[in-house]
Amino acid sequence: MAIGISEHLLHSDGGCLMLEDYEGATPRWCTGCGDSAILAAVQRLCRDEQLPREKVVFTSGIGCSSRFPHYMKTYGFHGLHGRALPIAEGIKMRRPDLHVFVNTGDGDCCSIGTAHWIHAIRYNMNMTVMMHDNHIYGLTKKQASPTSPRGLTSNTTPQGTQLAALDPLETTLGVANCSFVAQAVDWIPESFYDIVSRAFHHKGFSFIRILQRCPEFLPGHFDSFMQDPKRMLMLTHENGVQPSPALSRLYGNQEYHDPSDLNRAREIASTPDPIPVGILYQDESIPCYEESYRKAEGFTPALVRQRIEAEFDKYTVWPATK
Amino acid sequence: MSVEIQELRRFHLTGEKFPVDFPQASEQELRPALLAPYRDLTSLRHDYPLVLIEDDTEGVFSQSLSSIMNAILQEIAIPGPSGERLRRDTLRLETKIRGLISCGEKGSLSEIWEQAISGLLSEVDEAAAGPLEKCLKSARAALRVDGELIGCDEETAFRLVKHAWKAVNQQQARTNLEKIDELLLKLSEILEVDALKSDQAWGPERLEASMGGAAGESFDFSALSHILSPGAHENRLPEARRERIRSAHAVLGSQRFFAATNGAALEEDQPAAYPFVFGSCARARDVFTERIQEMLELIKAIAIAELEIENRYDESQHDSFFAHLDETSLEPEDLAFFPSYLVCLHDKECDGPEQAHLINALSSGLPIKVMVQQDDILGRHSLGDGRFTLGARSLQLTSMAVGLGGVYVLQAATSVLYQSRHRIHEGLAHGGPALFSVCSGSVQNVPHIPPYLIAASAMQSRAFPAFSYNPLGGNGLASRFRIEDNPQAEIDWPVERLVYQDEDLQRSSEEMNFTFVDFAACDRRYANHFALIPRESRCAETVPVSEFLALDDSEAREKIPFIEMIDSKDVLQTLIVDRDLIRAARRCREMWHNLQELGGIHAPKIEEMLEQRPAVEESESAEQVEEFVSDEGTQQAAEEAANEQPPDGAYIDTPRCTTCDECIQINNRIFAYDANRQAYIADPDGGSYRDLVEAAETCQVCIIHPGKPMNPDEPGLEELVTRAEPFN
Repeated sequence: MAIGISEHLLHSDGGCLMLEDYEGATPRWCTGCGDSAILAAVQRLCRDEQLPREKVVFTSGIGCSSRFPHYMKTYGFHGLHGRALPIAEGIKMRRPDLHVFVNTGDGDCCSIGTAHWIHAIRYNMNMTVMMHDNHIYGLTKKQASPTSPRGLTSNTTPQGTQLAALDPLETTLGVANCSFVAQAVDWIPESFYDIVSRAFHHKGFSFIRILQRCPEFLPGHFDSFMQDPKRMLMLTHENGVQPSPALSRLYGNQEYHDPSDLNRAREIASTPDPIPVGILYQDESIPCYEESYRKAEGFTPALVRQRIEAEFDKYTVWPATK
Repeated sequence: MSVEIQELRRFHLTGEKFPVDFPQASEQELRPALLAPYRDLTSLRHDYPLVLIEDDTEGVFSQSLSSIMNAILQEIAIPGPSGERLRRDTLRLETKIRGLISCGEKGSLSEIWEQAISGLLSEVDEAAAGPLEKCLKSARAALRVDGELIGCDEETAFRLVKHAWKAVNQQQARTNLEKIDELLLKLSEILEVDALKSDQAWGPERLEASMGGAAGESFDFSALSHILSPGAHENRLPEARRERIRSAHAVLGSQRFFAATNGAALEEDQPAAYPFVFGSCARARDVFTERIQEMLELIKAIAIAELEIENRYDESQHDSFFAHLDETSLEPEDLAFFPSYLVCLHDKECDGPEQAHLINALSSGLPIKVMVQQDDILGRHSLGDGRFTLGARSLQLTSMAVGLGGVYVLQAATSVLYQSRHRIHEGLAHGGPALFSVCSGSVQNVPHIPPYLIAASAMQSRAFPAFSYNPLGGNGLASRFRIEDNPQAEIDWPVERLVYQDEDLQRSSEEMNFTFVDFAACDRRYANHFALIPRESRCAETVPVSEFLALDDSEAREKIPFIEMIDSKDVLQTLIVDRDLIRAARRCREMWHNLQELGGIHAPKIEEMLEQRPAVEESESAEQVEEFVSDEGTQQAAEEAANEQPPDGAYIDTPRCTTCDECIQINNRIFAYDANRQAYIADPDGGSYRDLVEAAETCQVCIIHPGKPMNPDEPGLEELVTRAEPFN
């Protein structure tokens, strides 16, 4: 509760947490994997924000990226395939005081978990969602995913994929109540850090699609973009992110884009080359589902007790023998 | 019959009546000519009646009947002729409702609505009743809001401000109670978990109760208790912590500052919430002083609860901190946590000791909101009869409050209260004290004009101008002062066009100013300052008051001012005005000028500065050029830095490192991670030049620059230097 005295006390003590304090198990991702860059930036964010570790939860589904919670020394839930979001929603519903992060992959989010993804956008619950999109199923050794570009050969598509790829940005921007959409690439960690930081501070469902390299099963897949900075489009705005002068020198292809402009955001999202990097859309006015739900329900000790008793009463065998 | 010019002049200068047999101003029910079109307010769509919305959740505490009807029509009436019937019937209903309210009917919108429908249906024949009822039913179905419906009378100002205060406090109470309930729930959970580890929790009786009646005879619960008890006492809360949590829980549970909501109402022993509305500032201040200790206890309990829930209460540090807290430690944010105090006063109660208490209350910085209803702005001056206060009493109060600093001040007439609703809300939500001074439009001395028109005239004539002062509104007085709610705020007296029929029954129109004199003419106590004259007595020397006021002294000496009013038969009458009243009008205009200046209109100082503007612009552009030049300089320096020759030693563009582990796996002595887990050259001598070159080749983001070899004797150096070239 933001009142003078308690505000002062709650923020006056407690030691400084270092990045190492957020490091969990040693990552088992392949050497050169883009997930490592994402992990380092997220640990850095936790340290910079000095998030109490007991107040942070990472949830995930199944896939390489979904090993993320193991590598954070916070609470975590490595869930079922495609079910990272329902778990995160359940946590947020009962514990709105926790910082909830979701790490999900292109297969986990856009294939088996699509229904949850669409409705999670609509619920607009306050959480940060990182969708690691490497265009391939890596954990199961190279099968095509919904975001694989047309023609990509894999173990399940030896002749190349026939279907056009699903675009997670366009999809998210098309769902009702969408409140934050950004795109990052793992090979520009500085920009990813700025984006994830904005996403963390956004009140609502912050969706970041991260284009991520898989050196093991799709080596060189993003090389043409990495080696030609002109094929990256940096979105800049005072209400979005603004690349540092050093980064701007390297990535000169920039567009001044107001994140409140939904129509332009959709246009940008539909142009895959050059890859847009930055905040495409943000609307802070959309209410969060957990707040409206809690308000309607009421949470007093008496009400909670009453509800628990009512649940127990369902199993009572009447009349009681004593 | 006409009056000689000398007699007119004598009246103007001395107030002496002329000896002709002509009706006196005091015998007539006169009203300002510009009020002529507003004889029947029932048929006029204006801000009243208002609905005081109950249980608002979106910060809308009141809505006008007209705006509700507009919203309904927008929703249900199809544009074009097909929706015309619906529009016409709904507007008839609105007029009917307005009529009922003006006849003194009381009740909620839905009740009056039903009453109006029955009234309308009884007025039409059977054939027309069916379609009318159908239209009104569909309008009723689209009605989303409800609450008490109030017209514009002498009680309106109090009721509206009280209602707004209630709405603001309810909103705050909801949020705060939600938080307090959450803290109570969490503290109860800590205590309950602890209670489960006590002797009683593992005693035979408790175990038996937990098993239910059916198993009662099959178990020896004493033996079970004996087996289970020993392990149960581990990790109990220390006695001091348990007591601390219990005490915070008790304080939170018994607080009386916020009214119980649905959930808390379940607790039967919940004490009644404190009252916060008072009839005097002294009482409000005394009550505040009485409660301050309890407020401190609640703030302490919240702080302790938050620390305990986080398990961050450190006895060595926090015990002494809480022991030394007293009422002086309460910060403005802490005070703003509690409901504000509302004091409702009439202007006649603001004299003497109460005025002193009011000043004390406002200067204390405490969240006390004072509402003063100005019933008689032309009241008698303490110096005696015939001297006007000219709203000076109210202005004295509001300007004193502005001078205190930190006080939110709103002065408005009842007629614009609805338009000023967001300012009322702003004042009530303001953390410190607030003063609302509202002209009620009391009909005590003007029985023939409705309160709405009296209040509107008071504001229109600048006798009671509307303004607000928000101490947190920005830098400078002009941004804190708002006077734009006044009609035509940039000029002295508002101008309106009056359309009338002349002696030859021809349509005629003229522009008229509405001055302070027009307003004073409504008040019967000042009828002696006016003399009715026949229209034909008007001559070159007689001029309208607004024109007369614009003249300088020497010109004015030649002229006689008059105003035009209408009588009960809607006939235009001319009245000449005496010198006393003109003097009063001049004073009123001076006060209006002061207010204009505060509100940023016609500020002589600013106008003077604007005249010097070209010089300022020149110097500004010079500064801009300078800035531009220095920007250029920075850019040039940055480019130079970028074009610098690479250093001989190895280095990494650390901010671009993606933490992929490639380099670390090649040599973890040369390469290491920094505090952000990004690679840097920790020890260039930690390995061979070959390691550096291989790492540069493997790095996917190409940020490793091997530089020149340190050891000239390293084998295969020539080939390595060639391989390193693309990366340097």
